[in-house]
Amino acid sequence: MAEAVVSSQVGRSSRALTAQKAPPANINASQWRNALFIAPYLFFFATMLVFPLIWGIWLSFHKADTFGVGKFVGIANYVRLFSDKIFLQSVGNTFYFVLLTVPVLALLGLFLALALNRQTRSAAFLRAAFFSSSVLSVTIVTLIWRIVFIPDFGLLATIYGWFGLPGPAFLSSPDLSMIAIAIATIWWCIGLPMMLYLSALQQIPGEIYEAAALDNANRWQTFRSITLPSIKRTFILVVLIQVVMQFQLFGQARLMTQGGPNNTSKPIVMYIYDVAFKRWDLGMGAAASEVLFVLILIAAMAQFLLTRKRGEN
Amino acid sequence: MTRHFRSWIMAAASVAAMASASPAFAQDVTEISVQRFFGACDADFGTNTDVSKAVGECGIITSLINKFNADNPDIKATVTTVEWPGYDQLTAQFAAGDPPDIVTVHESALSDYQSKGLLLPLDELLATVGISPDSFTDAGRGGVTKEDKIYALPIDSWTMLYHINLGLFKQAGLLNADGTPILPTSVDELLAQAEQFKQKTGKPYFVQNLANETALFTRNLYTYLFQQDSDFFADPTKVKLNTPEAKKVFELYKAIFDKDYTTKNMDYGAAIQAFLAGEGGVQLNGTWVVGDYNASAATAGTALNSGGYAVYPYPQLFGGKKAQYADGHTWAVSNKDDRTPEQLAAIGKFLKFFADNDFEWSRTGHLPAFKAVLDSDAFKALPHRDTLAPIATLGTPLPSAVQRQFAIQDIIGEEMGAAVTGQKEVDAALTDAESRINELLANL
Repeated sequence: MAEAVVSSQVGRSSRALTAQKAPPANINASQWRNALFIAPYLFFFATMLVFPLIWGIWLSFHKADTFGVGKFVGIANYVRLFSDKIFLQSVGNTFYFVLLTVPVLALLGLFLALALNRQTRSAAFLRAAFFSSSVLSVTIVTLIWRIVFIPDFGLLATIYGWFGLPGPAFLSSPDLSMIAIAIATIWWCIGLPMMLYLSALQQIPGEIYEAAALDNANRWQTFRSITLPSIKRTFILVVLIQVVMQFQLFGQARLMTQGGPNNTSKPIVMYIYDVAFKRWDLGMGAAASEVLFVLILIAAMAQFLLTRKRGEN
Repeated sequence: MTRHFRSWIMAAASVAAMASASPAFAQDVTEISVQRFFGACDADFGTNTDVSKAVGECGIITSLINKFNADNPDIKATVTTVEWPGYDQLTAQFAAGDPPDIVTVHESALSDYQSKGLLLPLDELLATVGISPDSFTDAGRGGVTKEDKIYALPIDSWTMLYHINLGLFKQAGLLNADGTPILPTSVDELLAQAEQFKQKTGKPYFVQNLANETALFTRNLYTYLFQQDSDFFADPTKVKLNTPEAKKVFELYKAIFDKDYTTKNMDYGAAIQAFLAGEGGVQLNGTWVVGDYNASAATAGTALNSGGYAVYPYPQLFGGKKAQYADGHTWAVSNKDDRTPEQLAAIGKFLKFFADNDFEWSRTGHLPAFKAVLDSDAFKALPHRDTLAPIATLGTPLPSAVQRQFAIQDIIGEEMGAAVTGQKEVDAALTDAESRINELLANL
């Protein structure tokens, strides 16, 4: 009995010794229970994004309407899609719209941020003013711009009328309709890029600018050698976000021009909406959605890879 | 404080228990959901139950439903107003299994939903409330009958019309001795009169909403194809649009556009404002604005008041059948498994109420869907009904078996709009319209 007590004490003390000698637990070590922290997000990510994505791909290979899935048709929906002139036109329209809006949003947002990156009341007011349009719904935004663009009775037509000139038909001209949508979109979306740039600008240490001033660097040199390199990542982020967002143009086109005239302002999402919900051709709508998904993925990945490569160099 | 709080809680719980247990508290109110287009006008008519005081589609339908709710305290018809025509939303509601009980559907759109088994056949329900399909006009009955069953209650027949500013017609020298307008009887006459109008008034003959518009173009095309006896939907699953008849219509409207005989770049709202402001001689718009335009003409100081307002069916420009495109509005009832007998009875009462009040609805300018109203002195005494009466025989819908008529309307409107405004050659537009529609119909 006594031996047993002694041996158990020895065993306990040796275990304690071992425990003392063992390295402290790595709190960063990968453990399965950590997954619990991301489980809620993962659940919604899987049910709201991954599952619909897979369901959409599956639908795109079926003849399906809004009230049920018909039969497997292989790539027939894709063949129909790429032989549809209106779809190809809507793809071109969407790229044109992205080209019209993204560079302006990226550069104008930067310009506004640079101009308003100061601690004055007027700058604070203007920051709020430029951001305020972002909180409006697409319905209000398009209503405002329709009042500006509407022929004969709109603000623009009234101003042209003062000079005895006919106002440009922004909403019904094939050359101007997409530009009108782009103007409204830039006005609506400029707040976010400006705010992202402002937060980046405010993280640049003031000492660097002081050092540049001591070296007699002029404004352009300071901007080019200090500001731009410091906010490069934010610039890439802004472009990336805007490309993804503007590829998904829908509300503005639907409410301002109905995609017209002659489908010149119909973007891909509106094409998907028309096919799936007006024609009830859900399979073809799903196929068009997958094409849009791939286009956005390519654009985002291309930018990501390009900028990462440059960064590495 | 605690005692007070506790006694309040007890009192509230008692009231809740009594309300759930006692039929007197529960007050058996049967709820039915109603979904409609025709716009929102709650600011003017939100509480009005005197239907005779209401004007326009929105005012009259809002007041009618208010009156139905007031007359039937045991029924609550909850209304959802959707943007015209509301079919994208309705389709999504059906797909989600949550459609409204009663919904406005055009006769031209009924087939889409009926063919999927989404609508309730109404023969039995209408019989229980004493409505016989024999009382419908021929147009109304034809529009709601599918496979020998009644699938909706027709409430009107509508079509497009020539709304005329008589003051400007007088200035243009286009009035007869009796004060009626001189309307064209051929394409050449139309163009000649439009030229004369433009020369004499300095304004365009037509006020049209051409900016990104599809419905107007399509309805005009259908009307003038009917007038040339073109059987373009001989097969309801395949259209024939690349025809000399369709080309004539496209070229007519292109000539009107090219020679500035029409307003351009206006949307629907702007075109109405322009016509009411006296900016043109003829507005191409539907029966639904007759009431509003007549009210404007009766108001001192308006453009229509100074010279007068008249309204006519489209003139016969071609030598074929006397016809013009027409459609109709209906109340359809969704097919639902979980509907109670009380709700079904409430729906029956609602339909009966609208059948009984079809005269009030016909004050909008639409033709009634009931023979008795159409033949009544009260209807005939309404303004302009003498000139509109021929619509009852002229009105011609597309064959009811043609599905996706609203999607087809969009395709024709896009292509015709492109041809008329010079963005596309007429032949190319006709070819594209035909192939796009046939592709759509081949993949239903």
